[in-house]
Amino acid sequence: MGALGSYFKNIFLGFWNLMIGLSITTKYFFKPTMTQQYPEERLPLPERSRSMIKLIYDGEKDQFNCVACMMCAKACPNNCIKLEGVRQADGKRRMTTFKLDFSTCIFCGYCVEACGFDALTFVSEEYENSVYKRGSLLQDEQAMRWNRPAHLAPPAEEPAETKAAAGAAAGA
Amino acid sequence: MLTGENLVQLVAKLLHQGLGMAGLSGFISIIDPVVCAVVMFGFISVFVMFLVWMERKVSAHMQSRIGPNRVGPLGLLQTVADAIKLTIKEDVKPVNRDKIPYYIAPIIAFVATFAGMIVIPFDKGMVVQNLNIGMLYVIAITSFTVIAILSAGWSSNNKFALLGGFRSAAQIVSYEVPLVMSLVPIIMITGTLSFTGVVEYQEKAGYWLVFPEFLAFLIFITSATAEANRAPFDIPEAESELIGGFHTEYSGVKFAMFFLGEYIAVIVSSAVAVTVFLGGWLPVPFLHFLHIPGFIWFMAKLLLVIYLIMAFRWTFPRLRVDQLMDFGWKVLIPISIINILLTGFCILFFGKGV
Repeated sequence: MGALGSYFKNIFLGFWNLMIGLSITTKYFFKPTMTQQYPEERLPLPERSRSMIKLIYDGEKDQFNCVACMMCAKACPNNCIKLEGVRQADGKRRMTTFKLDFSTCIFCGYCVEACGFDALTFVSEEYENSVYKRGSLLQDEQAMRWNRPAHLAPPAEEPAETKAAAGAAAGA
Repeated sequence: MLTGENLVQLVAKLLHQGLGMAGLSGFISIIDPVVCAVVMFGFISVFVMFLVWMERKVSAHMQSRIGPNRVGPLGLLQTVADAIKLTIKEDVKPVNRDKIPYYIAPIIAFVATFAGMIVIPFDKGMVVQNLNIGMLYVIAITSFTVIAILSAGWSSNNKFALLGGFRSAAQIVSYEVPLVMSLVPIIMITGTLSFTGVVEYQEKAGYWLVFPEFLAFLIFITSATAEANRAPFDIPEAESELIGGFHTEYSGVKFAMFFLGEYIAVIVSSAVAVTVFLGGWLPVPFLHFLHIPGFIWFMAKLLLVIYLIMAFRWTFPRLRVDQLMDFGWKVLIPISIINILLTGFCILFFGKGV
């Protein structure tokens, strides 16, 4: 193929490639859009997405799971968790006040990781944190109270006897 | 049956009777052109607003977005809001501008393209002035925009504006040639320079000229896109390289006139393409029995061609300056010369068809 042939071939190939591009944009033109109109339409977030931090409230025992062990306050890199607890008559500690300042919180999740009593968690459906005053971001335990739905609860622990039996069996 | 001719005659009759009742019959020859200009201006302004909305919607849907949908139904009033905002905006002017060209440039950019509309036949007999040199007139008058762009670039006293103006001059001069040469085969076939005459030829011949002259249609659309400074040939105003190009220093109403001029250029070139290649007001083949008025066919074809030009803009990447020149001089012009020669041989050996 001479120079003239390749000249026409190039023109035809260029035209053909432009047509491919046009066909793709035309295809997308007739496809439905994927925009969500946010205030009117809301996407359900995945259950484990990191949104607001909540204190789990145990409805059966009518108390928070928190025992004020201070692990979350120590893990917090910004010192935005302040909490107090008292020792009750039965010898167990219970949280009395819990304050989390969301204006300094970076949602790193260290407090949730550090919690050994299944008391702190991220909640997916609440993610709209805008407020009119800065002080409104300082939330106390009542604002952070969250009744966990049953399907999100961790699997129930096996009774101690079976666990010991299993341990004995493994040891033997 | 409603046709464009009847409509025009009805309006003219009502107008003349009204003027006669008001005792102004002597002014008919003055008032008629004024009415034509006002009607055309109103139509063009509303149509440009619609086109801006359409362009935003087309680009949005090509990118899986929704586009304007807040102001008015389907966002149709978004451009009205934008136009109001532009007219009440402060007119910021550079201090060291060259005053007279700075003021004249947007006016030329608007008027030169707008004047091209008067020879476009919307329907049989529905044309402001049926010039017998219509094609020559449109090509001549629309290329006045290069003066506007050059003087805007020069008088803004801004290096980006100047570069944009220079690029635009090079581009429009280069693409004027294939634009004219793509219309030459049409003139050879139809033997007329009048747009009405071209459409009447197509009516008589029974086919649209896009079928024998598809190559000329492609060349025309490409160089018309370049003439209107639209992507992928928008190097005079390449946002990523030259801020805004020649209209960097313009704001408010003057900017709006440049913007209007660009869209009117798109309308004029698409209207020429529809008239010359796609049969103007003629109905689509096999749909004659629907009895749809000719101007509705014309508008439907016009919107289709404008959609095509918009699809170019949102599909193809912008050319470099040297690529632009290569494409214009090494591809479009030789191909259009070959097309003219082929058409000449065909006319010589097979006759004109009608």
